[in-house]
Amino acid sequence: MFKKTAIAVSVIMMSITTAQAETTYRIGITQNNVGVDSYQTTYESAFEAAAERAGNVDIVVLDAGGDVARQIGQMQDLIQQRVDAIIIWPTNGQAVIPAIRQAHNAGIPVVVTNSKIAEAGLEFIAAFSGPDNVQQGISSAEMMCDALGGEGQIVQISGQPGYTTAMERAGGFEERLAEACPGVELMETQPGNWNRERAQRVMEDFLTKYDRIDGVYSGDDNMGVGALNAANGAGRADEIIFIGATNFAVGYDAIERGEYYGSIYQSPVDDAEAALKTALDVLAGEDIPKMNFFETPKITAENLEEFDRPVF
Amino acid sequence: MASAEQSKPRLLTGKLSKAGMLSFLSAQGILIFFLLSMFVFSFFSEQFLSQSNIMTVVRQASIIGIIAVGVTVVIIGGNLDLSVGSMLSFSTVLVVDLHDKIGPTNAILLMFVLTLMIGAVNGFLIGFLRLNSLIVTLAMLSAIQGFVLIYSGGQNVDIADQQGTWFAFFGRGYVGGIAVPILMFGLLAIVMQVVMSYTGYGRRIFAVGGNPMAAVYSGIRKNWCVFSTYLISAFCVACAALVLGSRVMGSQNNVGQGYELLVLAGIILGGTSLLGGAGSIWKTVIGVLILGFIQNGLLLMGYPYYIQWIVTWVIIILAVWLDLANKRKRLFTTHS
Amino acid sequence: MSFIKGFFRGRTSIQPIWVFVIALFIFFSFMSEYFLSFGNITNILVQTSTIGLVALGMTFVMINGNIDLSVGAILGLAASLAVGLQEVSMTLAILAALGSGILLGALNGFVVWKTGVNAFIVTLGAMLGVRGLIFLYTDEQSFFAMNFAFADFGTSTIGPFPVLAIIFLACALIMHLVLTRTGHGRNTFAVGGNPEASIDAGIRLGRHMMINFIIVGFFAALAGVLLASQMGAATPNLGRDYELWVITAVVLGGTKLTGGYGSIVGTLGGVLAIGILRNGMNLMQVPAFYVLVILGAILISVLIIDKKLNAPSAKEVRI
Repeated sequence: MFKKTAIAVSVIMMSITTAQAETTYRIGITQNNVGVDSYQTTYESAFEAAAERAGNVDIVVLDAGGDVARQIGQMQDLIQQRVDAIIIWPTNGQAVIPAIRQAHNAGIPVVVTNSKIAEAGLEFIAAFSGPDNVQQGISSAEMMCDALGGEGQIVQISGQPGYTTAMERAGGFEERLAEACPGVELMETQPGNWNRERAQRVMEDFLTKYDRIDGVYSGDDNMGVGALNAANGAGRADEIIFIGATNFAVGYDAIERGEYYGSIYQSPVDDAEAALKTALDVLAGEDIPKMNFFETPKITAENLEEFDRPVF
Repeated sequence: MASAEQSKPRLLTGKLSKAGMLSFLSAQGILIFFLLSMFVFSFFSEQFLSQSNIMTVVRQASIIGIIAVGVTVVIIGGNLDLSVGSMLSFSTVLVVDLHDKIGPTNAILLMFVLTLMIGAVNGFLIGFLRLNSLIVTLAMLSAIQGFVLIYSGGQNVDIADQQGTWFAFFGRGYVGGIAVPILMFGLLAIVMQVVMSYTGYGRRIFAVGGNPMAAVYSGIRKNWCVFSTYLISAFCVACAALVLGSRVMGSQNNVGQGYELLVLAGIILGGTSLLGGAGSIWKTVIGVLILGFIQNGLLLMGYPYYIQWIVTWVIIILAVWLDLANKRKRLFTTHS
Repeated sequence: MSFIKGFFRGRTSIQPIWVFVIALFIFFSFMSEYFLSFGNITNILVQTSTIGLVALGMTFVMINGNIDLSVGAILGLAASLAVGLQEVSMTLAILAALGSGILLGALNGFVVWKTGVNAFIVTLGAMLGVRGLIFLYTDEQSFFAMNFAFADFGTSTIGPFPVLAIIFLACALIMHLVLTRTGHGRNTFAVGGNPEASIDAGIRLGRHMMINFIIVGFFAALAGVLLASQMGAATPNLGRDYELWVITAVVLGGTKLTGGYGSIVGTLGGVLAIGILRNGMNLMQVPAFYVLVILGAILISVLIIDKKLNAPSAKEVRI
C-alpha cells in the first residue's frame, strides 16, 4: 500500500513539475525470461499495469528469453530508439555490464531490477531496485536453524548456476548457517535450475544417497515443492524440514498444510512497481539511494494469514 | 546377411587381429558395456546397486524411455523427430491445467487428442508433403513452445488437490511393488517391440526406412507409413506427459526443454542407425537405461552433473563406431 | 508463370530468400518508425554477425552433405577461453579460443572421416561433451573481462560502420570466393552431390570433409570471441540452441540438407531474414511467445514453397 501511495505521490509530483510540457516518458524494459516461471510472468503484467496507472509512461517491453546475447541486442535496440530510461532484469550479473555501460555513455539512465549485477558495473547504473537476496539467504538460514534446534544434516538445491540471485541466496545462507548454527551440517549442494522437475530428481538422488536428511533449503519454492514431492514419494517427508524462498502459491499451500516449514515472501507486483517507481524517480531527477530493496519478510505457519496467497 | 557375416569372422586388416572378439563385442557390445559400467559403479558406491537406487534410476529414466520408444519407430521409418521436447511441455502443461478445470478423465482424453493432432501435423508435413523431417520438427520445436506459452500465458500450472486425485496414479502409483512409470515404459516397449518385429506393419516401416523406392514399388503406401510413425511418437509423448504431470503435479512451460537430445542420445547409444531401416526397441531401452545409470553413478561417486555429458560424448561415438567397424569388417574407413 | 518459377528457382540473378528479405524490409519500414534508420540497420548486422559467421562455415559443411550440431558449444567454449585467459594475456586468450575451435572442428572432422560415423551423431555427442568441458573449465561461473578495452573492441566502429558488421561481411565475401572459385569449393559440392562418384573421380573426400569441419569450428570460435567482446564477458550457457538457428538460417538460404547444393549469398539472405524478423518484431513489440510461433511457421512455409516450386521440374525429368 505504501508503495502504491509512493508511486501516486511521485507521479503527482512529476506532473506538477512538468505541468506545462506534460512530458511522456518512454521507458524500455528488457526482462530475463518471461514464461519460464510464474514470477516473471506476473512481474510483466504488474509492470504493464503500473505503467498504465502512471499515465505519462510509454513502455517498450522486451524479453531476452534467458539468452545473454539477445538481451544485449535488445539493449542496443533500446539505445537506438533513444528511450528515456532502460530497466534491465539481467540474464547474467556480469555479461550485461558492457551493454549497460553503452547505455550509460549514451546518456540513458539504467535501472537494474530484481537481480543485482556485479560490483564492477555499479558505477554505470542509476539505481538498483529489487529484493536483497543475501538477506533472504540469511533469513532462510535462521529459519532452518530455529526449525532444527541447531542440530542436523541438511542439503541445498540451488538455482541456475552463474545466476546472481542463485549465488547470493546460496552465499547468504551458507555464511549465516555456519556462523549461527555450527551444529547444522550442509552435506551437499546441487543446482535445480529453478525447475521443479529437475529439483525433484535431485532430491530423489539425495534421498538414496543419504539415509538421514533433516532439512532441505531450496533457492525458491518452485524447486522446494519439487523436493517435497520427492520426499513424499519416498515416505520421508515427515522427518525433513523444508525451507524455500520466493513464496509461490504451491509453497503457500504446503505451509498451510504443515508440510513445508517456511519461505520468504517476495511479491513480483512489489518488485515491478518498485522498478517503475525507481525509474520514474531517476527521470524526475530525485536524489535516491543506489540500492533500493523492498521488504521480503519470512513467512511460516505462524504468520501465514498476514500474507495474501501469491497469485503465481 | 549381417548374421551370416558374423558367423564366419575373418582376420581383419590393420590393428584388428581378433575379429571374432570384435564381432562378439559389437553384437552384444552395448549389453556388455552396460554390465561393465554397472560393475564399475557398484565398486565405487555401495548404494549404487541397492534396490531403491535402481528403482529410482529406472523411474527417472522412464519418461525419456517412453518418448524414446516412439522416436525409435520414427527413426526406423527413416525420419527424425526433434519436436518431442516441446511437445512434452505442451502435453504436460495441458493435462495439468485442464485437470482442475474439466476433471482428470476429460483432461487426459483431450490431451491425447491434441497431442495426436500435433503428431498428425508433423506426419502430414513429412509423410505427405515430403518435407525434410529434421527441419520440419525443428520448426515445430519452436512453434509448439510458442503455443505452450500462449496457452498458459507464461504461468506455471498446478493441480490444487495433489493428495486426493487419482491422477497421481501415473507418476506416483505402484502396482505389485513396481512404480507405474516403469510399468508404462515396459509395457509400451514390449508392445512396440512385438509390433515392429512380428507384424506386417512393422515390416513395412522397416522397408520404408531402409529402401523407400523399393518399398513404394512393392506397393507399400509410404506416405501413410511415415504419417503413422509420427502418430506413434506423439502417443508416446502423451504417455510421458501423463507420468511427468502426475509426478510433479504441476508444470513449467519449458519442462520438456532438451528432452529431444537426451532421447536421441539414448537411441543412438542403443545402436539404432539414424539412416533408417534398422534398429530395435529393446536396444533403445538399454541405451536409455545406460544413460540413466551413468548419470546416477557419476553423481553417487561425487562428480558434478556435467561430467556425464563428457562421458556420454565418448561412449556414443565409441558405441556407433564399434558397430560400424564390425559391419564393414575394418576399424577405419578406407577413403582418403 | 514460368518466368516467375524460373525467377524463384534461383537460376536467375536473385534468390527467393532475398525476395523475402526485401519484402520483410519494406514491411517493417512501414510498421515501425524506428526500423528504417542507419543505426538500426547496422544494429541488425551486428546482431546477426554471431549466427551469421557460424552459418558461413555451416554452409560448407552442409553442402558437403554433413551437419555440425556442436557449433553452439564450441562458440561457448571459445568465449569462455577468450575471457577467462585474459588475466594471462589477451593475445594468448584469443589464440587459445580460436585454437580450441579449430582443434574441436578437426576432431569432429577426423572422427567423421576415419570412423565413418554419421556427422549428426558425432557432433551431437560433441555438443553435449563440449558443453561439459565448458562447465568443467569455468566451474559453472561466468567470466568478466577486467579491462574494458576488450569490450570496447566489440562495440567499436570504423567511420560509421561497426567493426563486427565489417568482419562479418568481409568473411562472407571471402567464403563466397572460396566456395565458388577454388578447388576445395568445387570438391565440396562434388562430394556432397555424389560421394561415391567423387571417390571414383579421385577426390580426397575425407580431407575435404575435415577441412570443412575445421572451417565451421573456426567460425564458431571466432563468433564466440566476438560475442564475448560485445559482452566483455562469457557465460557457461552461451551459445545454447545456436546450432538450431544456424541450421535454420542456412536452410532458409536454400542450402540442401542432403548436400551438393547451396550458396553463401543464400545463407547471407537466410541470416538477414531471421535478424530482420527478430529486430522488426522487437520494434513492433510482438510478444515473445508469438515470435516463436511465427519463426516456426515461416520456416515450414519456406520449405513448402521451395518444394512446390521445385516439384514440377522433377516430374518433367521423370517423363
